Amino acid sequence: MMMDFANVPLWAAIVAAAFFVIGAGLTLLGTIGLATFPSFYARIHAPTLGSSWGAGGMVMGSMIVFSAASGRPVLHDILIGIFATVTTPVTLMMLGRASLYRDRSEGNPEVPPAPEAAANEPALAGEGGDAP
Amino acid sequence: MRDGSLLLVLILLPFVGAVLAALLRPNARNTEAWLAGSVAGGGLLVTLFAYPQVSDGGVIRYVIPWIPSLGLSVTLRMDGFAWMFSLLITGIGLLVVLYARYYMSPQDPVARFYALLLTFMGAMLGVVLSGNLILLAVFWELTSIVSFLLIGYWHQNESARAGARMALTITGAGGLFLFLGLILLGRIAGTYDLDGVLKAGDVIRAHPLYSTVLVLVLAGALTKSAQFPFHFWLPNAMAAPTPVSAYLHSATMVKAGVFLLARFWPVLSGTPEWFTIVGIAGLSTLLLGAYFAIFQQDIKGLLAYSTISHLGLITALLSFGSPLAAVAAIFHMANHATFKASLFMAAGIIDHETGTRDMRKLSGLFRFMPYTATLAMVASAAMAGVPLLNGFLSKEMFFSEALEEHHETILDTIAPYVAVAAGAFAVAYSARFIYSVFFGPKPTDLPHMPHEPPRWMRFPVELLVVICVLVGVVPNLTIGPFLRSAVISVLGPDTPAYSLSVWHGVNLPLIMSIASILGGLALYWFLRRELKIDADGAPGMRGIDGQRVFERILVAVSWRGARIAESWLTTTRLQPQLRLVVALAVLAGAWAMAGSWHLVPPVNLHGLDPVLGALWAVGMVCSVAAAWSARDHRLSALILVGGTGLVTCMSFIWLSAPDLAVTQLLVEIVTTALILLGLRWLPKREGLPPRKLDLMARYRRGRDLLIAVLAGTGLAGLAYFAMLMPRPPSVGDYYLEHAYVDGGGTNVVNVILVDFRGFDTAFEIVVLAIVALSVFALLRRFRPAEDNLDRPFQQQEQDANDEVRRDREVGDTLKDYMLVPSVIMRWMFPAISLFAAYLFLRGHDLPGGGFAAGVTLAIGFLLQYLAGGARWVEERLRILPVRWIAVGLLFSIGTGLGAILFGYPYLTSWFQYVEIPFIGKMPAASVLVFDLGIFWLVVGAIVLVLVAIAHQSLRTRTRRSAAERQEAA
Repeated sequence: MMMDFANVPLWAAIVAAAFFVIGAGLTLLGTIGLATFPSFYARIHAPTLGSSWGAGGMVMGSMIVFSAASGRPVLHDILIGIFATVTTPVTLMMLGRASLYRDRSEGNPEVPPAPEAAANEPALAGEGGDAP
Repeated sequence: MRDGSLLLVLILLPFVGAVLAALLRPNARNTEAWLAGSVAGGGLLVTLFAYPQVSDGGVIRYVIPWIPSLGLSVTLRMDGFAWMFSLLITGIGLLVVLYARYYMSPQDPVARFYALLLTFMGAMLGVVLSGNLILLAVFWELTSIVSFLLIGYWHQNESARAGARMALTITGAGGLFLFLGLILLGRIAGTYDLDGVLKAGDVIRAHPLYSTVLVLVLAGALTKSAQFPFHFWLPNAMAAPTPVSAYLHSATMVKAGVFLLARFWPVLSGTPEWFTIVGIAGLSTLLLGAYFAIFQQDIKGLLAYSTISHLGLITALLSFGSPLAAVAAIFHMANHATFKASLFMAAGIIDHETGTRDMRKLSGLFRFMPYTATLAMVASAAMAGVPLLNGFLSKEMFFSEALEEHHETILDTIAPYVAVAAGAFAVAYSARFIYSVFFGPKPTDLPHMPHEPPRWMRFPVELLVVICVLVGVVPNLTIGPFLRSAVISVLGPDTPAYSLSVWHGVNLPLIMSIASILGGLALYWFLRRELKIDADGAPGMRGIDGQRVFERILVAVSWRGARIAESWLTTTRLQPQLRLVVALAVLAGAWAMAGSWHLVPPVNLHGLDPVLGALWAVGMVCSVAAAWSARDHRLSALILVGGTGLVTCMSFIWLSAPDLAVTQLLVEIVTTALILLGLRWLPKREGLPPRKLDLMARYRRGRDLLIAVLAGTGLAGLAYFAMLMPRPPSVGDYYLEHAYVDGGGTNVVNVILVDFRGFDTAFEIVVLAIVALSVFALLRRFRPAEDNLDRPFQQQEQDANDEVRRDREVGDTLKDYMLVPSVIMRWMFPAISLFAAYLFLRGHDLPGGGFAAGVTLAIGFLLQYLAGGARWVEERLRILPVRWIAVGLLFSIGTGLGAILFGYPYLTSWFQYVEIPFIGKMPAASVLVFDLGIFWLVVGAIVLVLVAIAHQSLRTRTRRSAAERQEAA
């Protein structure tokens, strides 16, 4: 396929740029949050800005630019968005559980106790299976 | 050209036969014998068919140029001398195959035997037919290796293993010297072509390096032909099956040394050095071999020492430097091969039928096997040099040559006396063999009741003995013309007039013959009682044992020497090894760069892109921080290393190299995940008391820091300056222009990898396969440190918890916690596989390719192991990484070979567009198959490493339970 970025019309470029700015801005916000929020549990929420709308903005911008440049709809960028959305929560879940495990076994009063009554039972970290 | 192809057929036939023989069932005795027999028979026919062209000094040549600019080519060359040897190799080979059919027992794995025997036949034909010095050296070593394998054929036998090792050590080391000598010879002569070298005799003899060449070539020839003081490997090689002894260790392979001496006789002989070294070796071997042979108790030992002695005779003849002596030497090579092969086979029959080869036990066998006994007696008489047999003729020639004055040295003066003494010894051991085995009282304690062997087992002996007699009675009608062609091809115009007739009238040589026969018989008569009860070994010589000396040297070198070297030069710890390697690299780099400081361009930061600069600053901070935290915080160090990798990946994108970026990203993911899995097995850090740094520790750290800083800045500076240097004319432009035209792809990187530099890639993936296999091999034996044997703390705790509670089973907590992540990971597998296929298919034109696709699929497998554990994955998927590696190698190497089938050089690619339904027009290059090979190999290699790590936890558990059982007991 021939691609010529000179073909991109001004209006498309403006829309795409807006998406890029939104995406980049949200990602920046997310990283600032990651660096400045007070507790671990708060901090792991901040990057989700980047992985949801941050990535989404980038994907939208990219789709617009490449569709305009190659003169046909280029939609497969959307796969990036889908896979990013599906896979990032895994990291968050595992990180959150590891942290919760550690806080509970250290007896940190700020985290809620384990759901069951067993008083000294520490909840468990998301260790990766019986192997490896 | 037709005649040339004949040689190619002759040399390829045994190798093809060997491959076929190896593929048959191990116990297919008859099929194997028929196959090997037809190969040997075919070779014999081809040889006979070639005779008209080599008679009277004709030469057949066949040249396949390989690297003509280096003088390397596959040159086959047959002249009369080579023809005579080809006849011996194929003819005796055929007889040995027939004999071995009856000799080998049904329990022996004969497929291996015949495959090796045929390989040897091909290698030996290669030695005699090589027209190129390098090719000669290659085939020479091949004969040593096959001989090693054949001596050790019964590898359950300790003496067979020891004999095989010894033979290989001696002949292999000799072969290396020979190789050096041949290279020097080729350099002096200006060509590696045998014809060219043979013409350059005067230049070579006058060259200052002549004596070096001579010593090196002789080291090869004398070790191979078991000449004193390297003779001792041959008696030990008698642990081989008797057909092997008959074929390799009497008729052909040990003749390779004297063949070589005769081959280079026109070039190297005639100088005092030649006469001294070869003469001393030949005469002392002749005498000592014969003397030792008298006192052997094992029939094969006697024959082995006799072989040594006869080879000494040939060497001595060649040392004299006169053309007549060379004629006698060539004649004796053929004669010795016939009678000694028949004697070995007879010895094998005796062993086979009675179960022993000990002459103290054997006696009176004539009454059980009169036919075999008669044959053996005739052959021994030929060995002793009795008139009317072939051995007599060449021995007479030897006597008359020994009498001739060649040089004014003491060696020349004593030669006739040595000759008579050795002749007498030969008669004595022949008489001893005949008398003690076939005559005397009935044997008493034999393992089997002896009887005549099967008809066709005896046939080879019969045929060879008939040849001995025919040559002995009417030499001019039988061997005459063939010998003449052989002699002419070695001596050329210098061929002297010689007479082969039996009766030359009463002259000094005849008197010497009679004296040696009578003397030998008398010697046996005096020794006969002592021999019957004597232990092995010759009196007066038991102390001087070449074998013991050899073993002592071997022990000194390989055991003590190695240990001393180990204690001085090596360490079992990784850190000093790394320190040495890095320090050496720094020194070597400094040495190479010393004095070239003026080449360094002025440093300027002008034009540095601030974004790229910032990116690299991040990368540098990451790498330094990783090194800083590596000791105590491995996880953070690993994450930081990943940061450096990401920066590298982003710089590739920045510099518009998407291919490299994709590969870098994927490799980064895999290595990080694999190292992460490996972290669990490193020794624990927590709980260690903070170390107090004493002076030594401070010194060590300072030194290591210095080395590290030097190496790092040195490398960085090197890279920096290299990039600032003016760019040499680059091949990159050529690739850019030709990628689509010649390679049929628009992704230049991929076309370079799989097409332009496909050969490099093929070797690189082989290296990758080797690395993966070594990692697997190392981890298979890996035992974690004591404190790591237990499962991780969290895992123990959660399992303990599950156990306490009634409503849960062990592992439930884990399952709960992994529920969502593992589902997502599993569902990602098809998506990742599809992505891998996509990367693979687009690789030829767009970023991707077999390597990237392979890493991607491996990541898919990695996720499955993470999600479900090793057991879960292997219950559901067939994980066969070693097989995948093998398939990958076969595919990538096989595609390259495919090009040869169509007459193009290795790895030539072919491409065309094909229409695939639903996908559309797609370029289908043959490199796609090559790429497929890379793909499978990469998947296999990574998964193999993954499996090696993953199985650690499974195995540790079983091991621990074993330890617990022991504790309980």
